[in-house]
Amino acid sequence: MKGRLNAVWPPVLLGAIFLIAWQALVVVQDIKPYLLPAPSLIFTTFTSNLSLMLATGLYTATTAVLGLVLGTLVGILFAMVAQRFFVFRNLMIPVAAGIAAVPIVALTPILNNMFDITSRTPRVLITAIVVFFPIFVNVYRGLTEVPAVQLELLRSLSATPRTVLRVLRIPNALPFFFTGLKVAAPLAVIAALVAEYFGGPQEGLGSKIASSAANTAYGRAWAYVVVAIILGLAFYLITLLLERVTTPWAGRTRSA
Amino acid sequence: MSTLAVHAEGVWKIFNEGAANEVTALSDVSIDVGKGEFVSLIGPSGCGKSTLLRVIADLIPSTRGTVAVAGMTPHEAREKHQYGMAFQQAALLDWRTVRRNVELPLELAGWDKEKRKARALELLEMVQLQDFAEHRPWELSGGMQQRVAIARSLATDPEILLMDEPFGALDEMTRERMQNELLRISKATGTSVVFVTHSIPEAVYLSNRVVVMSPRPGRITHVVSVDLRDRNEDTRESDAFFESVTAVREALRGRVAPVGEGGARLAETS
Repeated sequence: MKGRLNAVWPPVLLGAIFLIAWQALVVVQDIKPYLLPAPSLIFTTFTSNLSLMLATGLYTATTAVLGLVLGTLVGILFAMVAQRFFVFRNLMIPVAAGIAAVPIVALTPILNNMFDITSRTPRVLITAIVVFFPIFVNVYRGLTEVPAVQLELLRSLSATPRTVLRVLRIPNALPFFFTGLKVAAPLAVIAALVAEYFGGPQEGLGSKIASSAANTAYGRAWAYVVVAIILGLAFYLITLLLERVTTPWAGRTRSA
Repeated sequence: MSTLAVHAEGVWKIFNEGAANEVTALSDVSIDVGKGEFVSLIGPSGCGKSTLLRVIADLIPSTRGTVAVAGMTPHEAREKHQYGMAFQQAALLDWRTVRRNVELPLELAGWDKEKRKARALELLEMVQLQDFAEHRPWELSGGMQQRVAIARSLATDPEILLMDEPFGALDEMTRERMQNELLRISKATGTSVVFVTHSIPEAVYLSNRVVVMSPRPGRITHVVSVDLRDRNEDTRESDAFFESVTAVREALRGRVAPVGEGGARLAETS
């Protein structure tokens, strides 16, 4: 417990010093809010609009979760197919790399036209595309990078490919999956937020940040940014928690 | 034939046959292992001892020759769980408890849950790890992990144990303790053992016969019969032990005339 506290206080202290310096800079130099609003202004805006902040954050969070789930499922499916069928392996890896290279900023307006712009669908799809690659790459590695001796052991036990998948490849891939998810989860929040910049329903953090800034409500724009940061961190921490619970062996010295 | 645990005759293993990088790993190898017999394969790296073990285990096919394991083809023997196998690495699954690792072969052989559990606990008691049944593999020392691996290899009560340098990664003290334990277990269960090792004293201490192999191409050059009665800690310091160690060492150095065609046949040594 003491060790954990020791790990916590340095970043907290650094953050506090940073906020105090920021506040001092704004007050002393009399910086206008449109250039840089003071932390106190951001904080009061945040607290006085708490329910609005919550509702807006929740909208983006929902988009991010839907996209995260969809992208993760497709990523896992592709990784399993690529592992199982040699023919697909050489086909899917370049395809996945291609998907990773898709510029989401450019794709968003196109998807907005392809699908119902008034719905959440294009935003979820954008998020899913961003999520797909880190999940696919990591799960594929986890399914294939299996210690040779464990494969020999299972062969000596006459295990079928399906059994090998169940008792060896999938558990082996779990820590890899979480490595991918830790990258993908905060990325999902960013993707969901960016997708909101390109029209569609005026809900969500992306839309609100853009409109607040346009209406010179800089304090509010920054307060939404704070919500976005909290959301990204929350996604990351939830993933971390899931990892701890489901793969307690991850990071341990391998016995193999 | 059916009395033999392993029967191999004129076995060749040629990797990449016909290609420029062709390697002859086994050249006309013949070996018989009787029921309950303990046979070690020893030789320098690249002599084909692990390859021979893998051919017997049907992990790789032989290029030519006949192999019978417990009177069946290696493939049938593998399908019917006639042999258990242990490797240099314990190869335990980190996400399973020690007990569930031992249960793995039984699970694949279709045993039901309760029987599996009872059998695994019985085996863990045999390797004196009953108190660690619900621990995770990473909480165990290297020697303990290897004992779990041995318990696992014995799970289906196989006729034959195939071991590929199982104690190679252990320190000397642990290694000697494990050797005693293996002798005790193989005696108690009547299991035949084919044991690959680099260590001359280990081969001598454990085996009824030590099969000496030499590389390029991998072949059997000598078979040294070892006659030590009750093997215990005193055995390691006995004259008979040192004599056999010397005999194997001489054979490895090629100082004694190699055996002729036919290799390590049981008849010639008994």
